[in-house]
Amino acid sequence: MAGSNEINANEAKKVVPLHTWILISNFKLAYNMLRRPDGTFNRELAEFLDRKVSANTVPVDGVYSFDVVDRSTSLVNRVYRCAPKEDNTGQQLGAGVIELEKPLSTTEIVPVVIFFHGGSFTHSSANSAIYDTFCRRLTGLVQGVVVSVNYRRSPEHRYPSAYEDGWEALKWVHSRSWLLSGKESKVHVYLAGDSSGGNIAHHVAHRAAMSNVEVLGSILLHPLFGGEQRTESEMKLDGKYFVKLQDRDWYWRAFLPEGEDRDHPACNIFGPRGSSLSGLNFPKSLVVVAGLDLVQDWQLAYVEGLKESGHDVKLLFLEKATIGFYFLPNNDHFYTLMEEMRNFVRS
Amino acid sequence: MGPTPYNSSNSSSSACSSSTKPPPPQPPDQMDHLLAGAGYKVRSNDLTQVAERLEHLETVMVKSSPVDISDIGNDAVYYNPTDLASWVDSLLTELNPNGSGSGSGSGSGFVSGSGPAYVSDPVMNDMNNVYGEFGQQVVTPIEEDVSIRLVHVLMTCAEAVQRGDLSLAGLLIDDLQGLLGRVNSGCGIGKVGSFFVDALSRRVVNSPQNGVVQVDLSAYENEILYHHYYEACPYLKFAHFTANQAILEAFDGQDCVHVIDFNLMQGLQWPALIQALALRPGGPPLLRLTGIGPPSLDGRDSLREIGLKLAELARSVNVRFAFRGVAATRLDDVKPWMLQVSPKEAVAVNSIMQLHKLLGPGGPRGPPVDLVLDWIRDLNPRILMVVEQESNHNQPEFLDRFTESLYYYSTMFDSLDACTAQPEKTLAELYIQREICNVVCCEGSARVERHEPLVRWRERLTGAGFAPLHLGSNAFKQARMLLTLFSAEGYSVEENEGCLTLGWHSRPLIAASAWQAIPKPSVVTTGR
Repeated sequence: MAGSNEINANEAKKVVPLHTWILISNFKLAYNMLRRPDGTFNRELAEFLDRKVSANTVPVDGVYSFDVVDRSTSLVNRVYRCAPKEDNTGQQLGAGVIELEKPLSTTEIVPVVIFFHGGSFTHSSANSAIYDTFCRRLTGLVQGVVVSVNYRRSPEHRYPSAYEDGWEALKWVHSRSWLLSGKESKVHVYLAGDSSGGNIAHHVAHRAAMSNVEVLGSILLHPLFGGEQRTESEMKLDGKYFVKLQDRDWYWRAFLPEGEDRDHPACNIFGPRGSSLSGLNFPKSLVVVAGLDLVQDWQLAYVEGLKESGHDVKLLFLEKATIGFYFLPNNDHFYTLMEEMRNFVRS
Repeated sequence: MGPTPYNSSNSSSSACSSSTKPPPPQPPDQMDHLLAGAGYKVRSNDLTQVAERLEHLETVMVKSSPVDISDIGNDAVYYNPTDLASWVDSLLTELNPNGSGSGSGSGSGFVSGSGPAYVSDPVMNDMNNVYGEFGQQVVTPIEEDVSIRLVHVLMTCAEAVQRGDLSLAGLLIDDLQGLLGRVNSGCGIGKVGSFFVDALSRRVVNSPQNGVVQVDLSAYENEILYHHYYEACPYLKFAHFTANQAILEAFDGQDCVHVIDFNLMQGLQWPALIQALALRPGGPPLLRLTGIGPPSLDGRDSLREIGLKLAELARSVNVRFAFRGVAATRLDDVKPWMLQVSPKEAVAVNSIMQLHKLLGPGGPRGPPVDLVLDWIRDLNPRILMVVEQESNHNQPEFLDRFTESLYYYSTMFDSLDACTAQPEKTLAELYIQREICNVVCCEGSARVERHEPLVRWRERLTGAGFAPLHLGSNAFKQARMLLTLFSAEGYSVEENEGCLTLGWHSRPLIAASAWQAIPKPSVVTTGR
């Protein structure tokens, strides 16, 4: 297996800007300490290390946020909204009062993006600084609302916990009167996620399609898929750009039910145990693949699978992108992605 | 110089207009704003060096076995992950104790000195210090299907009060009483709403311009409420626990130690410290405890009674112990000589929810808090432990205080819902209600609950000549273990740049920080 004992910093250094290299390398090395060889996870140290931020009702760059607890599941959703435009009548009754009585709009369509953060099902939270920052950007970009879901993580909570939490979040969002918009007065829902979040977004979209719950589109940012077979990209890129194949394997073992392998349908969507998506009212998808991500063959297979099932899918292949390219706005791929996401949601 | 290893060929995007020339370098001492958005503080000047250290760390990790690496994750103690440079160095020390010093950059290929090559980001330019900035309105998980209307009318009423329109406020209070009748007053804003309506109506009915003076409870009544608050939720336990941990570490190797407790109350914090000292490898020190508390009005000397009980306990575990009670109504009435600190002792000052009471109007000698911090510094303590409510209830505008406290206490009440034991829960609620009343109804020197957030206390304490002592991953781990004793799943401990906070869901509610005094420039120690 390539790269297991070599120092591979040299490859990544050449394609990734300094800040990104520092950020992703820091995660990579810290995460090495958190994954124990016996399959358990050092959750205490992980929570200690994770940089978190509080919600903030004072708009920053036009976006404010607040947390809402769904009492029935005790899941916390962090909601991001654009600050209202200057209003001459309005005095705000103290900064911090959230206008939750009215719909977002009765005339315009305001997209609501349900976002599932990444972290290989194991790391990070909705209030992690990197994801809070990302969601704020996304909110401003789509000029709508982003709901970031704090789903339960593995190995403490394995499949299907994360999918169930995603499903609850979708139902919760659909039932909020203050998220309605447009003349037909409904919640205009999109799903989005990076890495494991992308995987969750797919499964929630699938369940929505089977249950006739409307999802207008799905954005998958280098989603986490896999399978038993080793693909060419996995072998070629193993250990080269921040990710080792054995790490990927660890996370699947932590997420999938004990004793299962990577051909489980949660992981290998169009594999031997996957179910068909043909004929379902599956939402249109934007799948973003980073050209230096070792998982890309599985992501490309996913795109093919969607096409063969007759579904609308757009592939955005970013040749020189590594995982996590979208955390910092310091590279072309970042801006390309932002543009594509904005168009996807507005079309 | 060889080719730059970091990809400096990324052109500026279409979002930047000047795409050909490199961005102006940031002032080197400034914190890098890109990494700040990810929660890390790295000086722009240090970026390359941090990158080199990370590369070195990877080299070392590759040579270690996975078992070794995860053992280090289990056993080592870490501090302040926000300071990325020192975090990387601490990892290097753990993994490579005999390794070479810093900057073994030969052949690593990192560019040094020419500045990082990155695209300047138009979106991020204003993001410096956004999070944690004083004035941030931290909001709370709210229950939006209950009482949105209630919140609205509460806010309108508070705003009327601020404007001085008491007749409108009075009408709105009638509205509020009506709403309370229809709302689910069992939990969340519905529950705490009734306390806020009560507080507002007191203020409206009784209001001289200086606000209401709160009726004093007897010391006994105070103690009952405090005790039940202690039992019903983990906030005080977390405070005591975290403080004891830090004090224990600060007393390491010291034979004579002196703890000064700014609010002895029932001395609930100290049995655990006494026992921990008893079990200390090398044996316990001589422990002196000075407990400050209000004078007893009912003839009992309650300070002395507590002292006797603690002495009893200390004797039973063979810890040499001496207690002294200092009766004072206010902390700024305490004079340092009353504490009888000896120069040979290691001193710990323990302030659990007390310093904020000193933020009221100052006397002729200046703001009380500055005076007290000054004499604390004179004591030269090895540790000053500060635990405070994590909220800003000391803003000059009434409406701002009202809003912030509404969300703060509504979160706290939410967390209390997890406790079902009675009468703990009801009495704990009464304890909290008194705080609410003070924040909402009182003004001037009567308003003592002047909570300020951690970011403010950091400024204040740094300005007063104290340096931070970081609370580490061991304290964090143990605080989390404490929480598992509570069945409620919503409590969360977070690490915040060397301090620990305890909150409900994602909202921190109390913050614990440790400090040491920077000795004053001219130290005069004549025996006096």
